[in-house]
Amino acid sequence: MKILIADDEAVSLRMLQKTLERAGYEVTAVSDGREAAEELCRPDGPRLALLDWVMPQLDGPGVCCTVRRKRSQRHVYLVLLTSKSSKEDIVEGLESGADDYLIKPFDPGELKARLHTGTRILELEDNLLEAREDMRYKATHDSLTSLLNRGTILELLASELNRKQCDKSSISIVLGDLDHFKLVNDTHGHIVGDEVLREVARRMLGSVRSYDFVGRYGGEEFLVVLNNCAVEKAVDRAEEIRKAIGGSPIRTTHGPIPITMSLGVYVRGPSDTLPLEEILCEVDRALYTAKSAGRNCCHLGSASQT
Amino acid sequence: MTNSEHASIGQYVDMPELLARVDNDSELLTELLALFQEDFPRLRDVLHNAVHAGDPLQVEKAAHALKGMLANLSIKHGAALAANVEAAARAGDKREIQQAMAAFEGEETGLLAAVGRFMAGGEP
Repeated sequence: MKILIADDEAVSLRMLQKTLERAGYEVTAVSDGREAAEELCRPDGPRLALLDWVMPQLDGPGVCCTVRRKRSQRHVYLVLLTSKSSKEDIVEGLESGADDYLIKPFDPGELKARLHTGTRILELEDNLLEAREDMRYKATHDSLTSLLNRGTILELLASELNRKQCDKSSISIVLGDLDHFKLVNDTHGHIVGDEVLREVARRMLGSVRSYDFVGRYGGEEFLVVLNNCAVEKAVDRAEEIRKAIGGSPIRTTHGPIPITMSLGVYVRGPSDTLPLEEILCEVDRALYTAKSAGRNCCHLGSASQT
Repeated sequence: MTNSEHASIGQYVDMPELLARVDNDSELLTELLALFQEDFPRLRDVLHNAVHAGDPLQVEKAAHALKGMLANLSIKHGAALAANVEAAARAGDKREIQQAMAAFEGEETGLLAAVGRFMAGGEP
């Protein structure tokens, strides 16, 4: 683990450095407070620090205040190590943002134990953040395909519609539905059906730009939000998606399965104010028309702004 | 020659404690004492200059730094004398500062000589 030590007194700095290196820490040693604050505020900076109180440029409590004010992503465990030993000093040090307070001369055993406590707290925080991120991902993504789930893609669509209204640009919404997908499930079973859905998701993601959104809208229905895509390009883009899905059979554990997709397209132009619910009805109608026209094709909704 | 010029390092430094603090690493011990020989006179000069300039804030800072260095090297009596200078400076009492400084100066010559002899290998 990386640790920063800050002390303007050479003997103390060297003794600390050697003690911590022996304990397996990767030590960065600095001799003034400003340098310490800069190191600790770097995104990849150390998350554990031992700070002397009296230092040039910025004192230990000043470093604590700076780090607490500037760095919010992840906690940095700050320990003040000083020969200031009055109760008032300890209170002032801890209130400046330090997590712990040690009085010089340090006892190597106690120092290591206190730093171990700091490491435990940082690990606990890492675990909590990881769990939170995991939960956030699960709450926003479809567990089978890893695409955005229905709630999230609709939220994103709503927010993009608002944004586009402000910056007067076009947005295209594509609803795709796999043709005869029930037959895949009935013939090969749901496990193979899932394999097909996963591969369809992969192909869809591969056929859009990095700033477009793809979500699983329902069982075999997918909603695509194409940002800054006007009516002249919308059908071409939908065709690209259609070809990506139907271009080659999908390899499954039951062998290759040919699959096609029908797509309905709606384009909301700069002056269009159709609300989300009605846009979804329009794109659904366009999809229905594509299905009626024999499937494996795209249809541009008539209400799309030209 | 004064008595302090013959004093062993053990009279100034709690060697068993210092050795324990450096994990019995004699190489590190030597390195730290060399750093002390280099840095102590510099810090001491800063302290003396601050006292002569009548600047209690600088006296307090310099005495604090010396106290930390001496305590780290288990030079307990020296650290206590530096702490007295620091406390007197914090209180802003010039007479107290002079008295505390006199005690500190009485210690420093012998201390440096003892460390010097130890580093030169004059002491087992």
